[in-house]
Amino acid sequence: AIEPNEKPATQLPSQARVVICGGGITGASVAYHLALHGWGGETVLIEQDGVGGELPWSACGLAGRFEPSYTELKLAEYSIDLIKQLTARGLPTGWRQVGSLNLARNFDRMTSFHRMKSLAVAWGMNCEILTPEQCQQHCPLISLDGIEGGLWIPEDGVCDPHLVCHAFIAEAQRLGARIVEHCAVKKIHSEHGKVARVETTAGDVDCDYFVNCTGFWAREVGTLSKPVVKVPLKAVEHHYLHTKPIENLDPNTPFVRDFDGRIFFRECEGHILAGGYEREAKMVYEDGIIPLSQEARQYPPDWDHFHELLDALLQRVPSFRDASLDRLTNSLQVFSPDCKWILGEAPEIQNYYVAAGNKTMGVSASGGIGRVLTDLITKGSTYLDLHILDISRFLGLHNNRKFLRDRCKEAPGKHFEINYPFEEFQTGRNLRMSPIYPQLKEAGAVFGQSMGYERPNFFDLNDKQDEFGLPRFRIAQTRTFGKPPWFDHVASEYRACRERIGIADYSSFTKYDFWSKGNEVVELLQYLCSNDVDVAVGSIIHTGMQNPNGGYENDCSLARLSEHHYMMIAPTIQQTRSMCWIRKHTPQHLRAKVNVADVTSMYTAICILGPYSRILLSELTDTDLTPKSFPFFTYKELDVGLADGIRVLNITHTGELGYVLYIPNEYALHVYSRLHQAGQKYQIQHAGYYATRALRIEKFYAFWGQDLDTFTTPLECGRSWRVKFNKPIDFIGRSALLKQREEGVKRMYVQLLLNDHDHEVDMWCWGGEPIYRDGVYVGMTTTTGYGYTFEKQVCLGFVRNFDEHGHELAVSNEYVLSGHYEVEVAGVRFEAKVNLHSPNLPTKFPDREREAYHATRDKPDQADLLSFGNSSSSSGGDDANQTMTRH
Amino acid sequence: RLLPQLPQLSPYDVNLALRENEFVYNFPLDGIIRSYETNQLGSNSPCEDSRTEASLLHRNGFICGVFDGHGGAACGQVVSKRLLRYISAGTLPRQVLREQMKQGCTSQSFLKCHNDNVDFVSEIRPIYENSFQQYIKRLSAEPQRDVATELEQAFQQLDEDLALEALATNDVRTMSVALSGAVACLVHLEGLQLHVASTGDCGAVLGVLDPQTNQWQVKKLNSEHNADNMQEVERILQEHPREERETIIRNGRLLSQLAPLRAFGDYRYKWPVETMQQQVVPMFGEHVMPPNYYTPPYLTARPDVQQHELGVNDKFLVIASDGLWDFLTPSEVVSLVGEHINSKKILEPMRLPSGDVKLKEISAQLAERKAGLTRKPIDQNAATHLIRHALGATEYGIEHSKISYYLSLPQDVVRLYRDDITITVIYFNSEHIAKLRNETSTASSSSSSSSSSQPQPAA
Repeated sequence: AIEPNEKPATQLPSQARVVICGGGITGASVAYHLALHGWGGETVLIEQDGVGGELPWSACGLAGRFEPSYTELKLAEYSIDLIKQLTARGLPTGWRQVGSLNLARNFDRMTSFHRMKSLAVAWGMNCEILTPEQCQQHCPLISLDGIEGGLWIPEDGVCDPHLVCHAFIAEAQRLGARIVEHCAVKKIHSEHGKVARVETTAGDVDCDYFVNCTGFWAREVGTLSKPVVKVPLKAVEHHYLHTKPIENLDPNTPFVRDFDGRIFFRECEGHILAGGYEREAKMVYEDGIIPLSQEARQYPPDWDHFHELLDALLQRVPSFRDASLDRLTNSLQVFSPDCKWILGEAPEIQNYYVAAGNKTMGVSASGGIGRVLTDLITKGSTYLDLHILDISRFLGLHNNRKFLRDRCKEAPGKHFEINYPFEEFQTGRNLRMSPIYPQLKEAGAVFGQSMGYERPNFFDLNDKQDEFGLPRFRIAQTRTFGKPPWFDHVASEYRACRERIGIADYSSFTKYDFWSKGNEVVELLQYLCSNDVDVAVGSIIHTGMQNPNGGYENDCSLARLSEHHYMMIAPTIQQTRSMCWIRKHTPQHLRAKVNVADVTSMYTAICILGPYSRILLSELTDTDLTPKSFPFFTYKELDVGLADGIRVLNITHTGELGYVLYIPNEYALHVYSRLHQAGQKYQIQHAGYYATRALRIEKFYAFWGQDLDTFTTPLECGRSWRVKFNKPIDFIGRSALLKQREEGVKRMYVQLLLNDHDHEVDMWCWGGEPIYRDGVYVGMTTTTGYGYTFEKQVCLGFVRNFDEHGHELAVSNEYVLSGHYEVEVAGVRFEAKVNLHSPNLPTKFPDREREAYHATRDKPDQADLLSFGNSSSSSGGDDANQTMTRH
Repeated sequence: RLLPQLPQLSPYDVNLALRENEFVYNFPLDGIIRSYETNQLGSNSPCEDSRTEASLLHRNGFICGVFDGHGGAACGQVVSKRLLRYISAGTLPRQVLREQMKQGCTSQSFLKCHNDNVDFVSEIRPIYENSFQQYIKRLSAEPQRDVATELEQAFQQLDEDLALEALATNDVRTMSVALSGAVACLVHLEGLQLHVASTGDCGAVLGVLDPQTNQWQVKKLNSEHNADNMQEVERILQEHPREERETIIRNGRLLSQLAPLRAFGDYRYKWPVETMQQQVVPMFGEHVMPPNYYTPPYLTARPDVQQHELGVNDKFLVIASDGLWDFLTPSEVVSLVGEHINSKKILEPMRLPSGDVKLKEISAQLAERKAGLTRKPIDQNAATHLIRHALGATEYGIEHSKISYYLSLPQDVVRLYRDDITITVIYFNSEHIAKLRNETSTASSSSSSSSSSQPQPAA
């Protein structure tokens, strides 16, 4: 379908190791880094037009590091350093370190700046909080009307993206990479699930790796392979305003971002270049087909659309009122549905890499992206945890064109919005819903979305009906860094779970079935998992799936349903990701023999939790539920109500007594109604995600994607007792973990309870707060929340040990426990008490089974001391063993 | 109200009905007219209104007309097509006319119609063409007169031709043209000179934007010839013996039958009694004779012509049949179209003034557009906008059910509630007017300053 404009300028080789498609700044950076790694002679970059072909006024060239997450910030920082380095080597880049001035117009924005400033120490970033007057000193142009303060990042700067792109290309070529212009890709052929050949308008290239860096066209290029590689992206209109040269404009004017006005501007060759992120972006090319030629893509500027931004700009800089217009350009920008970059290996085809969705920040992103992609291609891993940017965070639904059209209206606006905790998108909602969703909505559920799934975050009985008396769909909002508006609702749900009985919808959890005819499934899981999966039928084990470095690629629960049948429960965001991991790492000889099926959409998961949950479930089933016959950490298939075949797991993921029922969808409403009806006499109450989250944080339970990532090992998070080094199979990551066991861990997972924190008035912890030990920065919090039993802010996080030179030392229990801790929340430090193991919470309903279970333990070998199997017991997995001995 | 329980039309159906006859024509950028928008909503079946718009060939000019027929559609249809041809020839410089005649011109040689998709049947066409040739032959022999006189002549000549054709051919078709009637309002524009020739009760109003107050002002460019116009009533009475004073105009109608006091056709009120008796009564019966028919002609097609020189503040001209003026006053019409212009700006991309433009100017312009956005009209076409307001306006805005009610009245009573409505809105290009005015004022030195032709706001 794609035809190039002219004949290819250079001859295309018939064979190459890597073919990069797209000669924009991202593709250029990938080519440069591959060449730097010594793969230059084996790298070909093809571009349908000329490289760096964008028009000179279609980008802003801001090289900034104001990014919401560590990963993104580090990538941006690397990009900036790289640009500096290229400049130092005499390549033209247009780089000038003018600094960035970020303005706040309200308290919450200021709080977010303070949080950024707190993080800066951890993230190694230079920045400074400014008063309004200091802001004006940095940029005398601005009016202080409505300005509360600012954040100054001195090492940010501006550059010319086109020069940078050409610098990458020139360097890549110097190192041997071949650039073929006016050559368009026609098909990407794969064999045995791996990239094999790229068909282009200038002939075919046999290759091992394909990198899709095609920007606006990445989604369309994704369709040129079988299976289709889903790259959820949508182009939107984006305007840049260029004034005519302004007299006496300081060339060292910093680049200024007025977030609350949604605008930014910079000096550019004597004039001002300004732009912004409107509340609702304007869609363009809704059919997803974007013209190839630059001319055909020129859209007339939409002044009405730009009006709000223009007025915000003129309000911020009154002197621009008299500046003359040079041009307003309307160039395309491309956004992903969550407004984050898309990186990594495509789930559909191995060795097919994607780097796209760089929004307007291509220049800040490209350097870092080039580096990490090169690492992934050449080494299989990189120096940062990329899971938040990984392409496997999406499902098929995210690639739906209409979904993208709806969602991407909202995505660009997010760019300049305050990064409140638990922010939700307003569009593309009500997409995946569990069968009991209408009941939950009627019960007052206020929803959050995860992987498209509507999950009740909390329940609010007020104002739950619309004007027609029907249940309203409500989206959870926090919109503060202090005490959240849902505090009381969650408190009541929390109490129900701890003192009576709560009912929660866990349906969004990822669910896979594994089975085989013979013992192959056990063999596979033993290889993939670090825990011993060869447990008695009916047992449940918690296990990580480690990468070769020992980090968590997945953290899941496995229930052994029968001899050769397991069910895996994993975090919601693992739905695409863990399948990729499993497929990629299944040994050749097991591929045809083990079936792995994603059954997420087949089961509704309802969790009942709390001291009365056992009595309640007993009423609805004939099976004996006493701990003796159905102990903690075991599984049974039960009849519940009038339904059968319900997979019941005696765990709750929160530390409470309770059960998660995996119900075939058609029974879900029946089982829910029976539970809810029968639960009335125990005052059963709906519990949302925030309540179960509060429970697990207090109990010191780690969650993948929040506390654990691909760089965290079980030894660092108090879970070495779940790693079975003595398994007969050499599982992935074993040697790395053994090595770490020898050398000691460099960081340790802790729980911190803040003293003297007034939850009514002080800013709350929301994750990402720096932890100080004896006044020295030692790590960051991961998940945090209010502990309703402790009546304190509870932080989970990692503690490191740096010597005076910044080198990391091993962390021991003694080191952790001997320190005096503080946590800095938006610029204010709070004293904290540290825990290394899950605490026992005071309760009116003592339960020895669960009290004895500590998800996170201080002593790596504690499990070994306790676990001696009760061989006569028909059930009892690894986690259960320790409690089994007490009966 | 009669018949309150009528079937309701959906907004979609209403839009279909209102927009069925919409037409827009955009002129090249360097003309004095930017564009015109026109629309027609019938009440009678078939609709008795007609409209024609044409550019004048061989010079830079434009004519358009609205024709409201009565007693059948025939006269209106014929006049709407032929009158413009007569005028295009009459206002053509004689020299050019003679040259064209040498080359064998036809009635359609002098103009280009923009929205014309019907033609006369083949039996009639040669008759009309013949009359036209006679007309231009006479014209070519006469000296050139001013536009107003030429317009008057063309009106009257065409009307006379209608009678001659009817009497000469004795065809039921030509006779029905002469016996049905039509009122007409015609606009002739050449250079900055605007002429409005009106016969009967159509109306033309000019929308003038006061540059000081930014308010819309109305300038009426014709007076209706009906019983409300005392001057007109006086004129008729003067033309007839005193003893007929009681019978000529009764119940506001000519000979208690005809509402307009001037019209094309309607030869029942023009021909001598003997012509009526000999040629018309045998064909149509006794009832053709109006009561108290003593001293014809009672009726004339002679138009009332007003001249106006366009100024930079003249933004648009609306001509419409009385179907519109039954509902809306001239000032309402002007303010509706004026508002529509503002809000319509938002419907098309913003045009920046050429040259150096400051950001504050752009901001101000955008703010103005944004104000228009809040009153974003449903209709892009101003004529449709007027019809929608005519039928649906209430104190609290446009009421869909009211329009639906008017549109769904049964055929046998609808005429009692609304007449055919025909509207043409012509937009002037102020920048071009300014340029022309500069040229003329510098050309004719300072002596003849154009102050006299400044548009005067109507009361």
